[in-house]
Amino acid sequence: MKHFSIVLITYIIFILLFTIFSFTFFNTDIVNFPFLQFSVFSNRLLVGGTYTLFILLFIGYFVYFLNFFSVKKNSRRVPFIKVVAISSLLVFSFPGMLSYDIFNYIASAKVTFFYKENPYVIMPIAFSGEPLLTFMHAANKTALYGPSWILLTYIPHALGLGYFFLTLYMFKLYVFVFYLLTVLLLYRMTKDIFRVGLFALCPLVLIETFVSGHNDIVMMFFAVMSFFMLEKKQIAPAILFLTISILIKFATMFLLPVFLLVVFKIITGKMISWKKMYLYSMTSMLCIFLLSSFREEIYPWYAIWFLVFLPLVEISKRIKVIVFIFTFSLLFRYVPYIVTLNHFGLTPYLKMIVTFIPVLIVISYYYSKRLWQKVF
Amino acid sequence: MKRKLLIALIIFGILYILPLKALAQSTYVLPYPSVMPGNKFYLLERVAEEILQYWYFGDFAKFTYHLSYADKYLVESKILFEYGQYALAVKSLERSNMYFIRLESDLDEAATHGKDISEKSIQLTSAKDKHKEILEEIVSEVPVEVLWTEENKPQQLLKLHHLLDKSIMLRV
Repeated sequence: MKHFSIVLITYIIFILLFTIFSFTFFNTDIVNFPFLQFSVFSNRLLVGGTYTLFILLFIGYFVYFLNFFSVKKNSRRVPFIKVVAISSLLVFSFPGMLSYDIFNYIASAKVTFFYKENPYVIMPIAFSGEPLLTFMHAANKTALYGPSWILLTYIPHALGLGYFFLTLYMFKLYVFVFYLLTVLLLYRMTKDIFRVGLFALCPLVLIETFVSGHNDIVMMFFAVMSFFMLEKKQIAPAILFLTISILIKFATMFLLPVFLLVVFKIITGKMISWKKMYLYSMTSMLCIFLLSSFREEIYPWYAIWFLVFLPLVEISKRIKVIVFIFTFSLLFRYVPYIVTLNHFGLTPYLKMIVTFIPVLIVISYYYSKRLWQKVF
Repeated sequence: MKRKLLIALIIFGILYILPLKALAQSTYVLPYPSVMPGNKFYLLERVAEEILQYWYFGDFAKFTYHLSYADKYLVESKILFEYGQYALAVKSLERSNMYFIRLESDLDEAATHGKDISEKSIQLTSAKDKHKEILEEIVSEVPVEVLWTEENKPQQLLKLHHLLDKSIMLRV
């Protein structure tokens, strides 16, 4: 435990440094702060290298914490809460570090609740002089999310009281609350800190939720909640929660076959193997995750869709390692853009290499090891 | 030589004095014609039109809705005039007018709510120019009035130029 306390102290420093580092991605063309002279826009290689180092350290901490929580004799609940609490400091990081989606959320909410216009008809760009337009990368698009999300964003919009920076951090806190609810729900369903930690402490989940403030955790909270309701044999609330989830981002439509299968089994009184159902759910969300590359590209935060089921399934350690190697490589997917500041040219190819080569290496290693054991 | 110069001057003078009308080509783009009256889906479109007015909430959304239907019915009336379906054309034009007159008030409301209407005002001006262009084309192609006869219905006198002139005035 003493060892753990020392690591926690270093973890606090690491998280604070990462939070400060996130501000090097702030576009100094918009606002010029003196310390932001060291920014990604003027020192791409250095910032790219520093980002890589931070991710490697993040992975190191993740492996350490998982190892700690895997030892059953260790008192786990309080240390887990401490790790989550420290990680939550990332909420204060610059949300535009890796993605500008949070500004789209704020803009859609403002179009709906401040300007009182239909966000599916009127684009934010229609409001010339709107300060949010400076930060948006999709000002010329109507709302990209479902009506559930638009309605849910009323709360952080209202709490922001019309002030931009307050609204920005209200949105981040709002997503953080859904992260906490998801973690609590997963703990309620598994009663196992280690299993919950597989998801809750995953660097990809922490970065994409606390730093970028993506709404995928909100969507998946409602999806998992719907299955939790089915476990309690409460079909109507389950349908409601799944509907809310689908109407956030539509991806959880891919859970419908599993959901309907479970409902059928409940109605007909058949035995349900929940581990199997969650495995089917995880596989469904993995499929839609991979298919998303045909629509635009694979976005790292989409991995939350299948990762949330990881605590609920029984899979071999090898598969878990492959899944985590994949999520780590998704975080490195940002590096080519950070270094080139260009989405075209070599960048898409570098992204593909960074995303899939590590996974292929690990799969090849396991396969060749198995082959070796069989032959010799 | 002097004679040729004199002829050139006279021609130039005539061209300069005579008010030759050059139709300005507006860059505003009207929609393609959609389902026309008589089609089995026309009623469905009209039902959708009624429902959609609730979807288009908000000042700018209402403006978009009213403008899109003003355009749609103008195109519809133009096609119907070309096909000599004057009674239906008159109805479509009246619908277009009904939507068009709401546009100014939509923008006025948006302005009272503190929204910047400059871009929408430019869009409205372009729409007015385009509508006038189309209506003036129609005026030159249709009779002044028509005694319209339909089966099992009383005859009606359709004062086409009167309606078209009124429609043009709405768009000034």
